Amino acid sequence: MPKKLSRGQLIAATAPFLAAAPIARVAWPDGAEAAAPSATHFGHNHDHAGQGHAAMIGEAVPSIARSAEIDALLIPPKVLPYRPGRVREYELVAVDKEIEVAKGVRFPAWTYNGTAPGPVIRATEDDLLRIHFANAGSHPHTIHFHGIHPANMDGVFEVVQPGRTFTYEFPAKPYGMHLYHCHATPLKKHIHKGLYGAFIIDPKKPRKPAQELVMVMNGFDTDGDGENNFYAVNGPAFYHARHPITVRRSQTVRIYLANLTEFDLLNSFHLHGDFFRYYPTGSTEQFEYTDTVMLTQGQRGILEIDFANTGVFMFHAHQSEFAELGWMGFFNVVD
Amino acid sequence: MESSSVAAELRGWGRLRLWTLAPLALLAAVVIGFAATGDSLTGLVRGNPPAVDEFDIRRVEFHPGEIRIRVTNPQPEDLTIATVTVDDAIVPYSVDGPETLGRLRSSTIVVPFEWVEGEPIAVGVTSSTGIQTTEEIAAAVETPEASARSFLGYGAIGLLVGVVPVALGLLWLPSLRRAAPEWLAAFMALTGGLLAFLALEALSEALELQALLPGPLGGPGLVLLGASVSYLALTLLSRTLSGGTGGGVSGGLALASLVAIGIGLHNFGEGLAIGSSFALGELALGTFLIIGFMVHNVTEGLGIATPIAEGGRPASVTRLSVLALVAGAPAILGAWLGGFLTSDVLAVVFFAAAAGAALEVVTEVGRYVARKAPGGLTSPYVLGGFLAGVTVMYVTGLIAG
Repeated sequence: MPKKLSRGQLIAATAPFLAAAPIARVAWPDGAEAAAPSATHFGHNHDHAGQGHAAMIGEAVPSIARSAEIDALLIPPKVLPYRPGRVREYELVAVDKEIEVAKGVRFPAWTYNGTAPGPVIRATEDDLLRIHFANAGSHPHTIHFHGIHPANMDGVFEVVQPGRTFTYEFPAKPYGMHLYHCHATPLKKHIHKGLYGAFIIDPKKPRKPAQELVMVMNGFDTDGDGENNFYAVNGPAFYHARHPITVRRSQTVRIYLANLTEFDLLNSFHLHGDFFRYYPTGSTEQFEYTDTVMLTQGQRGILEIDFANTGVFMFHAHQSEFAELGWMGFFNVVD
Repeated sequence: MESSSVAAELRGWGRLRLWTLAPLALLAAVVIGFAATGDSLTGLVRGNPPAVDEFDIRRVEFHPGEIRIRVTNPQPEDLTIATVTVDDAIVPYSVDGPETLGRLRSSTIVVPFEWVEGEPIAVGVTSSTGIQTTEEIAAAVETPEASARSFLGYGAIGLLVGVVPVALGLLWLPSLRRAAPEWLAAFMALTGGLLAFLALEALSEALELQALLPGPLGGPGLVLLGASVSYLALTLLSRTLSGGTGGGVSGGLALASLVAIGIGLHNFGEGLAIGSSFALGELALGTFLIIGFMVHNVTEGLGIATPIAEGGRPASVTRLSVLALVAGAPAILGAWLGGFLTSDVLAVVFFAAAAGAALEVVTEVGRYVARKAPGGLTSPYVLGGFLAGVTVMYVTGLIAG
């Protein structure tokens, strides 16, 4: 027959539960460390007023610091008046480079001349383009230009092995906004890694003077799941939201826009508070008067904005997801 | 003469200790030597593999105008929080704690956000290498603050699923006392059956939970450790209770308290699971679930009452109350801990401990039945009782499930 339980034995029997309390403190980081918030990012409003879209301005925008390299991508080379027989030479070097595609996020990119997008190539119609390409990367690459050129200058069959060079030579035509990108396979990989850029051919009869900007819409899939984690124009997410583009109201703003976003079927450009003339591919005089355009990969065009008002105006992809993953910026229109 | 023999003994000790330490000293030397070669040896077979760079999202809490995301770095290399997204949109955030986390270190990311009650939501944390970890929450529900109100609420839940059913089950004691010995044996076997059921359930829960832990913390070994510690502790306790005679068999109150401890450990784990599920909005069908657990757990009271009835000695109301608390109150404690804090490690350890404890008590009950029951372990009453125990737990478990 069992003997009776003493009070002490019952206490011993409950000991595991009493012991659980101090064990819980050790195994339980949450309760212990909950105090003292440290670094606050992007100076968000602690009253939580006005979040998202509207609050993404100034210091609140999560983006990288101002970079001369990124700023330079916005400005095309100078337009040259038509002159028969002129040769325009460019040097492009494919290099593997880790770039910052969003605040604090490093991406092992493949680039032309160290940036994604690469440099803007510009010529006047009928200039002879001579583009010296050197592959300093770790994979075979090419440059495939959109436009009219001989088959052997198309950057498809003449794959340039690492350490080798190739010179593309052809007359620039037709006038318009074009683009270039690597055409080595696998195509998706070579494009989304960053091998693309804008290619402008000016008409013989010069366009009217304007404040000219180049915007290449792109995305970055940083975790390799075949979906973009970040979107932007000219590189890092939210760059021109953090660093707005200042333009003058008195002069037309001309934007050379191209879509080189990989994985997604479409990208778009939407301007707040105003309309623009949109010239598809920029190769004719025909335009559409609108505030939103939609482009598939490889599509491009020219936008001309005559701002009616001064102030800060947003521009962004009208796919909200892209906008909120970095493809958003501001014009600061001044007199 | 004497001193020289002492000296010889000391020398012997010294030699023994030397031989004991020699493998360890040599191991240390080899480890140091290997570390000094750097990557040159491992480099013979492979290069430096890239890190996975994924955070572990441990807990997502919803407060008015704010989401709190607890992240842990499960990998050996440091990880830095770079971007935070809510429903695929980059959001501003601040960090309570370091932004760069060492191995197994945690921080809480605070995101000002007007989330929508009851709607699914996904939070993502991207490391500086661009790898994104996403956690999808089925329904955003405000996480209860540690207020007196919610403290009471979790206490009440614990009380309802733990103490109340066990106490109700204990009320079978008077009827059991009048039962014929064969029937008592059947009920003892039933206790064994239900404890076997609990042991298996707790074991499977522990194994499931450990698989979700960050690699270095998890492992079935942790479950074995928890189960072994509780099994051995209960064996020791049982020996003490039955008078310290190794071969003694516990019966009556002593066995009843062992059963209560085993059930209590299980109820702690159950409370923990219920509490954290409520807090994280995973349990929408609250009322029905609580009823299910109550029905399920009434049987546990029966399991405690049977050995007392079998022992034949009277038991005071105080003593019975204490037993009910030992078995049921841990559910309250578990509900509090699960509701306000989070520790998956602790949940694994407790479920493992519950499995070990329940298994030990099954052994005790088996031994007791073998010795005391008319017809021993193979009597039809015992076999039927055991099966009935498992069946009752399974069927009532369907309600809770």
